[in-house]
Amino acid sequence: MARLKLEDVQLAQGGRRVLEHLTGSFPDGAITALIGANGAGKSTLIQAIMGLLPPVAGRITCSVPRERRAWLPQQLALDLSFPMSVEELVMTGTWPSHGALAGYCAPHYRKARQIMMRLGISHLAHRPLGELSGGQRQRALLGRTLMQEAELLLLDEPFANVDSETVEVLTDVLRDMADQGTTIIVVLHDLEQLGRLAGCVLLLAGGRGHWSTPQAILERYGKPQGVQTSLPPLDLRGATP
Amino acid sequence: MIETLEALLLTPLTDYGFMRRALVAGLALSLAVPSLGVFLMLRGMSLMGDAMAHAILPGVALGFLLAGISLPAMSLGGVLSGLVVAGLAGGVSQMTGHREDSAMASFYLISLAAGVLLVSLGGSSVDLTHVLFGSILAVDSGALLLIATVCSVTVLLLALMFRALVVECLDPLFLRGQGVRHGLIHGLFLGLVVLNLTAGFQTLGTLMAVGLMMLPATAARFWSKRLEGLIGLAVLIAMLASTGGLLLSYHFGLPSGPCIILLAGIAYLFSALCGRHHSLLARLRRTATPPESSAEEDQSTSQEGTT
Repeated sequence: MARLKLEDVQLAQGGRRVLEHLTGSFPDGAITALIGANGAGKSTLIQAIMGLLPPVAGRITCSVPRERRAWLPQQLALDLSFPMSVEELVMTGTWPSHGALAGYCAPHYRKARQIMMRLGISHLAHRPLGELSGGQRQRALLGRTLMQEAELLLLDEPFANVDSETVEVLTDVLRDMADQGTTIIVVLHDLEQLGRLAGCVLLLAGGRGHWSTPQAILERYGKPQGVQTSLPPLDLRGATP
Repeated sequence: MIETLEALLLTPLTDYGFMRRALVAGLALSLAVPSLGVFLMLRGMSLMGDAMAHAILPGVALGFLLAGISLPAMSLGGVLSGLVVAGLAGGVSQMTGHREDSAMASFYLISLAAGVLLVSLGGSSVDLTHVLFGSILAVDSGALLLIATVCSVTVLLLALMFRALVVECLDPLFLRGQGVRHGLIHGLFLGLVVLNLTAGFQTLGTLMAVGLMMLPATAARFWSKRLEGLIGLAVLIAMLASTGGLLLSYHFGLPSGPCIILLAGIAYLFSALCGRHHSLLARLRRTATPPESSAEEDQSTSQEGTT
């Protein structure tokens, strides 16, 4: 049985109905891409899955305990001028399971070092977040979710404003996490990433959800210019011609 | 030479009990209040302290009207009215979806007007000055005990909620995703701010108390990029300003609150001019010697890291 199931879910934001009759389950140990035009309800759905926005009708069943649900927001949503180093940010990933009061112990630090090594940010461990590039920050943020040992990971446009090397690293790490059984949902704008990363697609359009596969989406929308005019409003930023 | 120094720095303290009490009160406040200021600053709420200081005024005034110059009554009133304003502002902003600062601005202005009206109903302008700007002469043992208690509780509670506060500043959704109720940490934090402003009003006055909260914090920002550094430095600056301000007020017969705050203000101006980070001097120095390209250095070391 899938960890995360939607049953006839209806979501509203500020009194406006955003999504309705959303049914289906997110496959475990796989990466599901969430795509759709701006305002189609991607962020609303993510909020609902995180338990921050109760559905108006229907049910969201999630068997993953809270401390194993991780959420990687868009960088813009974070105050990155906050005086905190990369290592400190990664270590915050222990709080949900370890408690915010307990001290860190040696195994935590070891694990944080391994994670930073894997993400290629070991040399930045003591740098303040404010001095990092977009890509380096994104790696540090992913480090936090690795530290959290997430079983359900939600990412909101993780590849926006990051360098190509970071995209490689992030893709590798996300694939590994999925292979180890993590359920990953990632909001994507970039169809190029879709083909490389996702195993499953949930397309939000017109207030409904349509389950699909990356191949089908790419065949329909990923083709060069000309086709775009006849499409439902789907943001094709970054799609390769 | 040593005798002059002794006469300037020590004699006021050894000779007069009220100076000793005022100093202890100032130092206790300096230990707790600037840490709150650092968090207020980092949360982009630097002016919130000011709003809260106005918000406690009607409570203090009401306490004063009912019980005269009685510290417990005035403090209790202050804490209550501060919490009411903070609660109302938070509630209205959550209900309407408007930003909290607009609701806060509305409520603190109402509160301020009500406070001034209450004071003028029952007392003279001397009383109003006392409430607004404090007086070190008023710090008796009871007041000292109250200040020390509030400051100890603040330091302990801050230590307990330190991580939650940090995460809430950086990424509020992370905390909410973990099931921490929205507004819980924020509410506790604002409660502490109100409590400390009330504790500070006796020595500094309701309006000046904010100065000890914000100025050391904003000054420290020019010297440190680390949270611990910011808090440590802010506490140090506040302690120096409190001690220096008290001595100045003693020797020149000036009101203590403004002296303390002005010293902290001088620390801020000096930091803005000569501090290590982002100050005028640091900026001039950077334009004089262009930095080496750190991006390339990062690139090469990151490759070492991955292999």
